[in-house]
Amino acid sequence: MSTAERQRLAPAFAVALFVALLLPPVRAWLESRMSLQMLVQIPLLITVGWLLSAALPPRLGEGIARWNRHGISSLVLASLAGMFWMLPRSLDAAIGEPWMAVAKFASVPLLIGLPLGLGWPHMGFVVRGVFLLELTATFFRLGWLYLVSPIRLCNNYLLDDQQRAGEAMLVIGSLLLAGVAIKLLWGRFDST
Amino acid sequence: MSSLELYPQDEKLPRGEHVAFNLYMITALLLFVVMMLLGLTMRMTQADWTPVQAAMFYKVMTMHGAGMVGTMSLASTAVMWFFLRKYVSLHLWAFMSNYVLFMLGALCIIWAVFVGDFASAWTFLYPLPVHSMGLWSNGAAALFMVGYLLIGVGMLLFYLDAAAAIIHRFGNLGRGLGLQWLFGGEIDPNHPKAVVASTMVIIANSLGILAGAVVLVMCLINAYDPEVALNALVVKNLIYWFGHMIINATIYMGVIAVYELLPRYTGKPYGVSRPFLWSWAASTLFVIIVFPHHLLMDYAEPRWMLVMGQIISYAAGFPVFLVTAYGVLTNIHHSGLRWTMPSMLAVLALFGWAAGIVPAIIDGTIGVNRVMHNTQWVPGHFHFYLLLGVLPMVLTLLYHVVGSRRRAPVNSGTDRAGLLLYVVGGISFCMVFLYAGHMSVARRFSTHLPEWLPYDQAGSIAAMVLILGMLVFATRIIVGLLKAPIDADPAHPAG
Ligand code: HEM
Repeated sequence: MSTAERQRLAPAFAVALFVALLLPPVRAWLESRMSLQMLVQIPLLITVGWLLSAALPPRLGEGIARWNRHGISSLVLASLAGMFWMLPRSLDAAIGEPWMAVAKFASVPLLIGLPLGLGWPHMGFVVRGVFLLELTATFFRLGWLYLVSPIRLCNNYLLDDQQRAGEAMLVIGSLLLAGVAIKLLWGRFDST
Repeated sequence: MSSLELYPQDEKLPRGEHVAFNLYMITALLLFVVMMLLGLTMRMTQADWTPVQAAMFYKVMTMHGAGMVGTMSLASTAVMWFFLRKYVSLHLWAFMSNYVLFMLGALCIIWAVFVGDFASAWTFLYPLPVHSMGLWSNGAAALFMVGYLLIGVGMLLFYLDAAAAIIHRFGNLGRGLGLQWLFGGEIDPNHPKAVVASTMVIIANSLGILAGAVVLVMCLINAYDPEVALNALVVKNLIYWFGHMIINATIYMGVIAVYELLPRYTGKPYGVSRPFLWSWAASTLFVIIVFPHHLLMDYAEPRWMLVMGQIISYAAGFPVFLVTAYGVLTNIHHSGLRWTMPSMLAVLALFGWAAGIVPAIIDGTIGVNRVMHNTQWVPGHFHFYLLLGVLPMVLTLLYHVVGSRRRAPVNSGTDRAGLLLYVVGGISFCMVFLYAGHMSVARRFSTHLPEWLPYDQAGSIAAMVLILGMLVFATRIIVGLLKAPIDADPAHPAG
C-alpha cells in the first residue's frame, strides 16, 4: 500500500477502531484488568487520534503547524494529558463515573493521539530522542512503582493485577529500548 | 584519517565556538583546582593535619566525588566536541545547552552539600540519602538528585545532537562505529577515529542516562513517599550502571585527543584498522555490562552477574587499551617525535591509563576483591587513571590549542617544570593510596588509626606537589585561551 493510500484510509480506520473500542463487550473486557486498560485500551485510543491527524484539512494542518515548531506544543499537550491518564485515580474514575468515561474516550484521542500525530513529522531527531527516552524511562519507573507499591492504587483492580501491569510495563520498556537501539545501530534513516 | 598538518584549517574556532570552548575549559580547569584542594583537605584530615570534623569530611568527600566526575565529564565532552565537529555538523545550541544544564545541576549539588549538609557520597546509595539521622533533610537529598538529573538531561541533548549528525553523515550508528567492516570489506582509511570513539560513548552513555533517569526519579519518589520501598540492590545496580559508565566514558572521549594529535607530533599517519574497529565494538558492549564488578561483595547479587563482572572486567578495558597502546607505540617508534608539552602529555596519558588499568583489573578479581574492596586500593587505582590518564588527555588538547595560537607548540621551562611537579606528585600520590590499600587502610574513613598516619602524610605532601603542577597548567592555559584571538570562520575565510 502506498503512503498516499494509507493516508487516505487512515481516518476510516480510526473511526472503525474507535467504534470497536466503544462496543460494550470490548469495553468491558478491556476495562476488566488494569493491564488491559492501561496498556491496550489507552494506547489504542491514542492510535485513533494519531490516525485522525491525517484527516485534518491541509489548511488547518498548516495553521496548527505554525504554532507547533519542532512539535514542541504537541509534546507539551500530550504529556500533560498523558500524565493525567497515568494517575490510577483517573483510570478508576473512568470505570465508575460515566462523565469520566466520556472524558477518557474524548481526551485520549484528541489531546494525546492527535497532537502526537500532528507533531511527529515536525519533530527533529533530538526532540524524538528525548521523547522516546522519557517514554521508555516512564515505562520502567511506573512498572517498578506498580510492582513495589504495597497498597492498591485502584479501587477497581486487585493488587496482583496491579503487579502484573507493573511487570508488563517493564517488558514494554525493554522492548521499546531494544527496538530503538536496533533502529539506531542498523536502521535506515531518510532524513534526520 | 586525520590530517598531519599541526594546526589544520578545519579546527579553527570561530566566535561562537571559541566562546563555548573557552567557557567549558576554563570552568573545568577552575573546578579541577577547587576540587583538588578539597581532595587535599580530605587527605590532610586523614593525616590529622586539619581540624576538619567527620561531618564536614563527608560533605567534602561528596562534593569532591560528584564534582570531579562531573568536571571530568564536562571537560572530556569538550574534547569529543572539538574533534567530532570536523567530521559531522554539530549544533552549537546543543553543546551550550549541556553547559548551561551542567552549571545549573552543579549549583543544585553545591547547594545540597554546603547549605543542605548532604553527605552521602557521590554514589548516593539507597537508603542512606533518606536515612541521614538528622544530619541533612530529605529536601537536600532531593536537591542533590535533581542536580544529577539536570546534568543528565544536558548530556542527553548533546549526545542526541551528535547521534543525529553521525547518522546524517554515515547512515546509522553501526556505520559510525565501523561495524560494516568487522568481517571483511575494504576499510575506509579516512574513517575518523573520533567518530568511532564518539559513537561508542553516545551509545554507552545514553543507556547510562536512561538508567540514571529511572533510578533518580524512583529515589525521589521514595524520599517523599517512604511507603514505596525500593530494593536496595536493584538501586545499587542501576546507580553503578550509570555512574561507572559516565566516568568510564571520560577515557573514551579523552583518548580522541591522543588519536588526533599524536600523529601530528610524530609526523606519521595513524589510520584505522580492523583490530581497531573490533576493539571499539567489543568495548562498546563490554563497558555496558562490566559494572557488576562494583558489586562483588554483594552476596545477594545473582551469581551469574558477578561472574560476568569478573570476566568482563578483564575484557572491557583491554581491547581498546591494547590497540591504542600498540597503535601509539608504533606511531612513535622511529618517528622523530617532537617532545613538546602536548606530545609529552599524550604519552603520559597513555602511561597513566595503562598503569591505572593494572590495579583495577587486580581488584576486579573476586578473590582479591574480597580483601581489597573498600580499602584505599580502590581510590588508588581510579586516581591513577583519572589523574595520570584522562586529565592529561584533556591537557594535551588544551596545550595544543594554546600552541595553535602562536603556530608553535608550547614548550617553555615553566610548563615543563609544571609537568615534572604534576607527574612526580601524581605518581607518588597514587602509589601511596595503593600502598595504603595493600596495608588494608580502609577507604572513606575521615579519622585514621595512628599506624596509618604516615601514609596519609606522605599522600598529602604528594598531593601538594601535584596541585602546584596543576596550578601552573591552569594559569598558563587560562591565560593562553583568553589571549587567543578569535579565528575567522573557516566557512567564510574572507571574514
Ligand atoms: C590533587 C588531586 C586529588 C586529591 C588530593 C584527591 C583526594 C582524594 C581523597 C583523599 C579521597 C578519599 C579517599 C578515601 O576514600 O579514603 C578521594 C576520593 C575520590 N576522588 Fe579524589 N583526589 C584528587 C583528584 C581526583 C580526580 C582528578 C578525580 C576524578 C576526576 C577524583 C575523584 C575522586 C572520587 C570519585 C573519589 C571517591 C569519593 C567517594 O569515595 O565517594 N579525585 N580523593
